[in-house]
Parts: sequence; structure tokens; C-alpha cells
Amino acid sequence: MSASGTPTTPKETLSNVNVTAALDVEGNFPLESVQIDGLVVLKIIKHCREFFPSPVTGQLLGLDVNGVLEVTNCFPFPGAKAEDENELVDGARYQVDMMRCLREVNVDNNTVGWYQSTYLGSFVTHKLIETQYNYQQTFNNKSVVIVHDVSRSTHSNLSLRAFRFSQAFMEAQKEDKFTTESLIKNKLTFSNIFEELPITVKNSHLVTALLHSLDDYEHVIPKSASLDKEKVVSPLSPNFDTLELSLDPYIEKNLEFLLESVEEHTQEQNTYAFWQRSVAREQTKIQVALQKRKQENVSRLASGLEPLPEDDIHKNHKLPAEPSRLDSLLITSQINNYCKQLNQYSGPTLGKLFISGELQK
Amino acid sequence: MPIDAATSALNLSFPPTTTAGFVVPQSRSFTVSVNPVVLFSILDHYLRRQENQHRVIGTLLGVRSEDGSEVEVRNCFPVPHDETQNQNQVAVDMEYHHNMFELHKKVNAKEIIVGWYATGSNLNQWNALIQDFYSKEVMPPFQAIHLTMDTDLKNEEKLLGVKTYVGAPIGISAKPENCLFLPVPCDVKYFDAERSGLDLLASAKDELSRSTSLISDMDNLEKTIVAVQKMLERISDYVNKVLDGSIPSNNTIGRFLMDTISVVPKIDKAEFEKMFNSHLQSEEVQTNQKR
Repeated sequence: MSASGTPTTPKETLSNVNVTAALDVEGNFPLESVQIDGLVVLKIIKHCREFFPSPVTGQLLGLDVNGVLEVTNCFPFPGAKAEDENELVDGARYQVDMMRCLREVNVDNNTVGWYQSTYLGSFVTHKLIETQYNYQQTFNNKSVVIVHDVSRSTHSNLSLRAFRFSQAFMEAQKEDKFTTESLIKNKLTFSNIFEELPITVKNSHLVTALLHSLDDYEHVIPKSASLDKEKVVSPLSPNFDTLELSLDPYIEKNLEFLLESVEEHTQEQNTYAFWQRSVAREQTKIQVALQKRKQENVSRLASGLEPLPEDDIHKNHKLPAEPSRLDSLLITSQINNYCKQLNQYSGPTLGKLFISGELQK
Repeated sequence: MPIDAATSALNLSFPPTTTAGFVVPQSRSFTVSVNPVVLFSILDHYLRRQENQHRVIGTLLGVRSEDGSEVEVRNCFPVPHDETQNQNQVAVDMEYHHNMFELHKKVNAKEIIVGWYATGSNLNQWNALIQDFYSKEVMPPFQAIHLTMDTDLKNEEKLLGVKTYVGAPIGISAKPENCLFLPVPCDVKYFDAERSGLDLLASAKDELSRSTSLISDMDNLEKTIVAVQKMLERISDYVNKVLDGSIPSNNTIGRFLMDTISVVPKIDKAEFEKMFNSHLQSEEVQTNQKR
């Protein structure tokens, strides 16, 4: 573990180092899956919901055991307005204080990653890239970002996804070079920036007992009232929100975002094309100059003079630097995201449509 | 939805009156609603207690409705305490409590201290002392809420009974260790966004491994449809039995069924066709767009 704390990651304390050292004995298993405690799921949802639609972040605490990253607790970061230096220092102190406090009550205080809320899956941003890179570098690649989509989770299925960067992307980011050449070298495309890890959710025995208690409402409410007009709703009564037919606002927003990204992508393409043209222009200029120099040399030789060197032409004419391809990479990845999302959404919706069609017959 | 066996206690509200020499506590009747995340946190705290500790306590954070008739407990944090050392003393780490509250305030300033929790079902003299401490933390004129969670599961129903109380002084001269805990109605409340998470967690409750994985939208839809189908089967089974005469009919159920059937909208066929196609079109448009 590198000791240099980045602004976003707190300096680790003694016990933390011990934990990591102890786990390293078990071998350097690469992470294969993420196992989240039920408590963490609820905490993330709570935090993200309260500040929706502005994005929020928080820290994940836990352990990695034989390739399974166990996330057992988390805490939220204060508002994301930390731009100036002072706030950043405050944020770092908050993290350290929080970790210290949590350790006192026996919470795992080993940082294993962070979480972020998102709106309709638009999470592939520079900020995320930077933060995750810092985490992954500090914590020896054993760190994930969990992305929670509030808008998608509100009316149907819970949307939680765990990501980390692929080795290829880490290499490229380390060099901070995103030229076509380095992309080819690292075999990096939009689809392998992230590696998605499967998430499982695990409850403790007591939580299981609690869930059963919550479900056991028949014993709790006196029988006589159970068929009254009054609503008898247990917290865990079956949920049929998934059968909701309204789809317009969701799809509209999604398509809007998609169009926006496509536009951005075109812009990126234009910049790239512009660069290509200017490279071509420079190259012809060099060719012309070379040609000229050669002719000159021929005539100089003919008149018995020393030929002029050809190297300085290359020095005089500089090829313009290639623009970073990171942006276009991210945008493509984002477009890919939106498309997948639409796909996932339209499948069930079509199904629902036909169901309601059958119902009317 | 209450989550513990119904009690026989009545919750009456009486206007604040002051008789000479005897101050009736400000006791407006109110209800408490608890967010599931609080219950989960308490259980997690209990799991991670010190070896010789038999119960844990912590601070409850939440919001009050404007008229004070409802208190929503939205968050909580553990507070270390010690009641083992000395027979007559209980030590609550007040500094920790204040530090933690400050940290929580940075994230969500709206949540204020509303009371405290403890695991276990007994109320003893320590509870009264701690209640006294928290009464000073809660902004007057409101009272501190005490929430207990029966982690021993020793009650008759084998439920993780959650009970809430407010404290009332007893005796002629009020002493901190004298306190009467009055039960307050309590239920579980959650938001739409939390529903999907709870559903997922609940799907693991019958698994031996106590774990589950996330499912796709399509699988989720399938699950729901299967559930609806099962319900339909059950009800048609029931109706058939009633028709056979093998079980007596029940008017209430009949009325419910009537209501349910009348809810199905009767739409003109042509109209429906139109709606159906327009929806289908918008679906197809976006499916094509992806290509």
C-alpha cells in the first residue's frame, strides 16, 4: 500500500495496514465479486435519495477475502461543493474523524472503495475516472466504485453496479497518454475501460430475523381487522410497481441524454478530423521542403559545394500533438451505457404492453 | 404498520396544564415512524458489540413534522457506553456522541437528535439515567424518544419487537433515576426509492446462504407476473370451492373481489388499439434507434 495519501483518500492508520498485511498472506487474489451487506444497500439508497438529483459520494468499508470484496459498512461524504482548498482539507479531516469514530465501535475501518449516485446511468465522467484511479492506485487495485441509480430504482428494480478499471485502462491512465498509439498498445476500447463485478447481497442472521418479523404482520395485526377496508400493508407485502405501464418520461430523458452524448461525440470526431487534416498539411509541407532541399543539394553538388543537411527540416516543422482520445473514449462508453439501458428497459416494457393487450380481450 | 404485538396502551393527548406545584410534562400525543435503515444499523451495531457487552445503545436522528405530531427516525449512530464496571453507575461516551453528531450534521443538517436506542427488552434504572441525558440533548419542548429492540428474541411471538417510549417523571420531586416510560405508537416507514432495496433484501430471507444477487429488469418482471399468477390461481381456487359448497362463502371477500374486478378499466376496443399501437411505436422507435 502506498503511503502517499491523495486528497480524496485518507491516510491509513496503523490497524488498517495490519489488516491488509494479514490478508496478503492469503495470496494476491484478484477481485472477482463484491458482496454487500444489507445495511450498506439501505445506507447508500438513503444517502442518494436524500440528495437526489444532485450526485453524492461516500466511502465503502470492509475487507477483501480471497477475491471477494466484502463491503460491510459505509458512510456518506458531505456535500460535493468542495472546490476550494479549504473544503478539501475539511473533507479529508471528516473522513479521518469518521473512520476513527467508526473504529471505536468495531466497524471494519478498511477502505475498499466508494459509491456514487447517478441519474439515468450518466456516471462516466472525468471526476469518476480521477477518483477511482486514485482509489485503485492507493489500494492496490482492490477497490471498487459502486454506482447507484436512484431514478431507475424508484419504480422498479434496484440498480446497483460495481465497477473497477481494467488493467489496460490503469496503464494508460498512469502514462496519462490517450493517443491512438497508446490505445492500440493497451488494447483499450470503450467496452473495456471498466470491469463490472457481480454483486451479491448478504444479510446477517439478525437481519434475516428482522425481515421475517416485518413480514409476519398477520400475527401482529389483530385478525378481525385484516379484511377491513383499511389498508393492510406490510413493509414487505408483494410489490407490483414493476407492472406500471407509464414509460414516457423515463424513455424521453434517456433519449435526450443519448442525443446529447452523440452530439458531444460528433464534436470530438470533428476535433480529431481537424487534427488529422492539420497533420496531413504539415506532412505535405515537410515533403515540399525536403524536395526543395534535395534539388538545392543537387545544384550545390553540381557547383562543387557541400550539400545541406536534411535533418533540420524535420526539426523546423513540428507535427501538431494528437488530442487526447480519453474524452471520445468516455463518451462512447457513455453512449454504450444509454443504449444498454434502453435495451434493458424496452424488453420488459414490450412484455407488459402485450400483457395489457391480452387483458383487454 | 406496527411491527410489534399490539399493546393495550391508549395514547391520549391532554392539554398542557399546570396545577400549583405540580408540573404536567408537555405531552402531546405523537407517533413515531422508523426507517428500516435504522433497524438495520442497530442490528449491525449489536452484532459488533464488545465481547462482555450484553446490550448496546446509540443516538437516534430524525426529523419532526411541523405540528410535532409525527417523528420520523431516519438515521442513528452507535455510542459506546459502559454499565459493567460499577453497580451504581452507567458511563455514556458523551464526547463520542457529540463528535459523531457533528460529523453527521455535515452531511445532513436537517436531521436532529430525537432520542436514543437500546437493544434488549428490559427497561431498568440505567435506561432512566440515559433518558435523562438525552432529554437534555433534544430540543425543548419535545421529548426524547427511547426505542428498544428485542434482540434476544425471548418474547412470545419470537419477533424482533421494536417499541418506542417517552419518559415521564414520577414522584413528588423529580429525580433523574425516577422515570416512567410511556409507550408511543411506532411503525415502519420507507420511501419509494428504498422499496426496491428492501425487496431485494427480503428475497434473501428464506435462503440458507442469506445472500442474493441483483436481478435484471426482465427477471424482476417475470417474478412479479408469477406472483400475480399465483394469486389468481389461489383466488379462483377459492371461488371454485365456494361454488362447490365445500367452504362457506364470505361476504367480505366477495365484496373485495367485486371491487377488484370493477377496477379493471373498460376501454373501447378501437381506442385501446390506438393506444396500444402508439405505445408500441414509441417502443419500436427507440429499439431502432439503437441500431
